[in-house]
Amino acid sequence: MIRFLVPIVCLVLFFVEPIFGLFSPLSIGGSLYYVVPRFLILFLIFLTVFYELRHALFYGLFFGLLYDVFYIDIIGLYSFLYPAVCLIAAYFFKKIPQNLLSATLLALGLLLAMEVALYLFFQLIGLTDAPAGTFLTSRLWPTLIANALYLGLLGWVFRSMMVTQDPQRGTKFGLY
Amino acid sequence: MPQFLSNKRLILLLIGVILLVALISLTLRDRGQVSLPEQIVKEAVGAGQSVFSRPAHFVTGVFDNIDSLINTFEENRLLKARLEEFAGVQAEVTDLRSENEELKELVGKEEDLREYNPIQAVVIARNPDQWEEKIILNRGTNHGVKENMAVMTAGGLIGKVTIVTPTTSTVELVTTQNPNYRVSAMVLGEDDVFGLIEGYDAERRELLLKRIDFSVDLKEGDQVVSSGLGGIFPKGIVIGEITEVTIDEFGLTKLAYVKPAADFSMLNHVVIADRLAPEVDGEDSGMTEDEEEES
Repeated sequence: MIRFLVPIVCLVLFFVEPIFGLFSPLSIGGSLYYVVPRFLILFLIFLTVFYELRHALFYGLFFGLLYDVFYIDIIGLYSFLYPAVCLIAAYFFKKIPQNLLSATLLALGLLLAMEVALYLFFQLIGLTDAPAGTFLTSRLWPTLIANALYLGLLGWVFRSMMVTQDPQRGTKFGLY
Repeated sequence: MPQFLSNKRLILLLIGVILLVALISLTLRDRGQVSLPEQIVKEAVGAGQSVFSRPAHFVTGVFDNIDSLINTFEENRLLKARLEEFAGVQAEVTDLRSENEELKELVGKEEDLREYNPIQAVVIARNPDQWEEKIILNRGTNHGVKENMAVMTAGGLIGKVTIVTPTTSTVELVTTQNPNYRVSAMVLGEDDVFGLIEGYDAERRELLLKRIDFSVDLKEGDQVVSSGLGGIFPKGIVIGEITEVTIDEFGLTKLAYVKPAADFSMLNHVVIADRLAPEVDGEDSGMTEDEEEES
């Protein structure tokens, strides 16, 4: 069943992201907060750690490419970042206690790293000139908090969806 | 042979990275054009996105309705007060409009920079990683949308079309950091003052109106509208109002901060302005393509 469930969930998350993007930026008390929905990559990290890396890499590449073509118009940015994040997730998850909480924290940590990497990239090509302080307060923290909320709500759903599918997954970690 | 395997993987990784950098730099260079495969992907994703955005808009619409219901009493009081004014203004507008038409006929002027063909569109997505301020609309070349057309809401100008496919179009909002984004604007007053909207101050959240003649006096609160002289936008689309006037970095011209009139959060229905007067190629900076290459 997971063979059909995973792509469907990926597709739904992919389409839901920009809709949540419509709510952003939030203006609270006169200052703007950019909340970037990162539903898909967080799901892919969970897929990596609780199911299998190769699936996550494939979906990461595919949806990253769609993301690039449809929204960013720079091909190769997200189609690289998504699989790369999954690879790093697989590498680190072997070294930490393997439960829901640690997976959530790992996913949030990787999200932080990805946001910073994106910030540096967009600064490099001159699409943003926001100073680091503004980036931290108006973008990074709100994004992390919102996505932590999302993971807190749906993380266990993802996990139970994947773990029940594959009893032998403990031996499947690592690269192939 | 684990050694060999990891070597092979390393080479694969290297090739991947090289390919990636090549792809990124290639697509960065000409982001305006869309190749056929890109167009197909955009179409397909756009179709899927419309399916998802419709219920979302419905839900936000319900919330908006509830919100406005709460404010109804207060609003109603205010509106009643304005209503009497309105009748007077309405009569004046009709009068002026007919007079304007008569005068135009008298002069034999047919084309007007103000006139445009409105194309109604719905926002189906907003670029979810909001590094670039982009929205995607459900109208494309099939509906007559062309590149560089002005996009606005009831509040005022919000951006211009950068990429079109047959059924979708990508709009870059005026709040972008893109240095090549220019809009010919003018300040309404006794004498119209012309300038260019160039750039956006992210911290103040205000647009920069540059290249204003040094000798002109501008006041805070003056209204800024598009001038139509850029060659693509129609004349008279509200952009915002001036909040501060300073001198630009070279000290030769004035610079004004303009607070945008449109609300950029929760965009839903927008209008694309298809100008009736002939359009000039390129961006809305009053240059033809040849001039742009030179500069």
